[in-house]
Amino acid sequence: MNNFPTSCPSCQSQLTVARLVCPECGTGVEGSFRLPLLAGLSPDDQRFIVDFVKSSGSLKEMARLLGVSYPTVRNRLDEIIARVRAAEGEES
Amino acid sequence: MTTDMAEGRTEREGPTLGARLFRPFEHLAGAASLALGLAGILTAGFVGSLSGTYFDGVLDTHSGLAVPRAVFFSAGFIDWLSLSVVLWVLGKLASRTAFRAVDLFGTQALARWPTLIAALAALVPSLRRLSAGFAAQVTSAAPARPDLPATDFMFGGLAIIVMVLCIVWMVYLMYQSYAICCNLRGRKAVGTFIAGLIVAEIVSKAALGLVFRA
Repeated sequence: MNNFPTSCPSCQSQLTVARLVCPECGTGVEGSFRLPLLAGLSPDDQRFIVDFVKSSGSLKEMARLLGVSYPTVRNRLDEIIARVRAAEGEES
Repeated sequence: MTTDMAEGRTEREGPTLGARLFRPFEHLAGAASLALGLAGILTAGFVGSLSGTYFDGVLDTHSGLAVPRAVFFSAGFIDWLSLSVVLWVLGKLASRTAFRAVDLFGTQALARWPTLIAALAALVPSLRRLSAGFAAQVTSAAPARPDLPATDFMFGGLAIIVMVLCIVWMVYLMYQSYAICCNLRGRKAVGTFIAGLIVAEIVSKAALGLVFRA
């Protein structure tokens, strides 16, 4: 499967979901659905969050997993937090 | 650090040589950097005692002057502590991130590793003769160009260039340490770092003066 696109290739605006399909029976639901907050983040940021949760929220474990120093991981987390806050601001 | 969402894994990439030399703190911090850094400061002090080189101030390197042996070993530690404490206070004031003291103190200690290379460069005999010649010139009533072979000027000059480059490299690493550990960027990072460096230089000079007067 292709990576999930989150922004418009033409104008870079946030995309919305227009159609959902059940892969089992083919039933489709159409409408205008907002993407979940985390789906709006880049694949790198999403992977980081998944790894962070799997590491029980341990920055030390994340640093070991990624092969970088503790402050580098913490700075990356701070960047993601800022992006999540910005996305929350856009939503509200 | 790259991520492949399709494969669902985070890939580890080893640091390049450039990253190891100029951005080592992206990969090394905490207690490991503190242990390595303190070992580097101690070793630089030992090599400095052999070459007559000491670091009497955060940014200072002097060679060829007679000082008590304790200066060689303690000056590096006083310099490191002075800058680390000043940058820790500035980081607490300027940064919105809750950073760990061990990262800042550890990476600041590691940032002083170039002083070991500077102390090694000062072992070059030509530089020692050149320093002695210029010291005699300064104290002489009738100053004259030191009577030394041209090779002494060439190799001594090269050693001085290496020492200056080491100090520049050290300052760059100190900045990297501060910016990464306190998560600061841009003008805020540069401005507070320069202010911290000036304050720490004064603090280290005062501390060294107090310690060796006592």
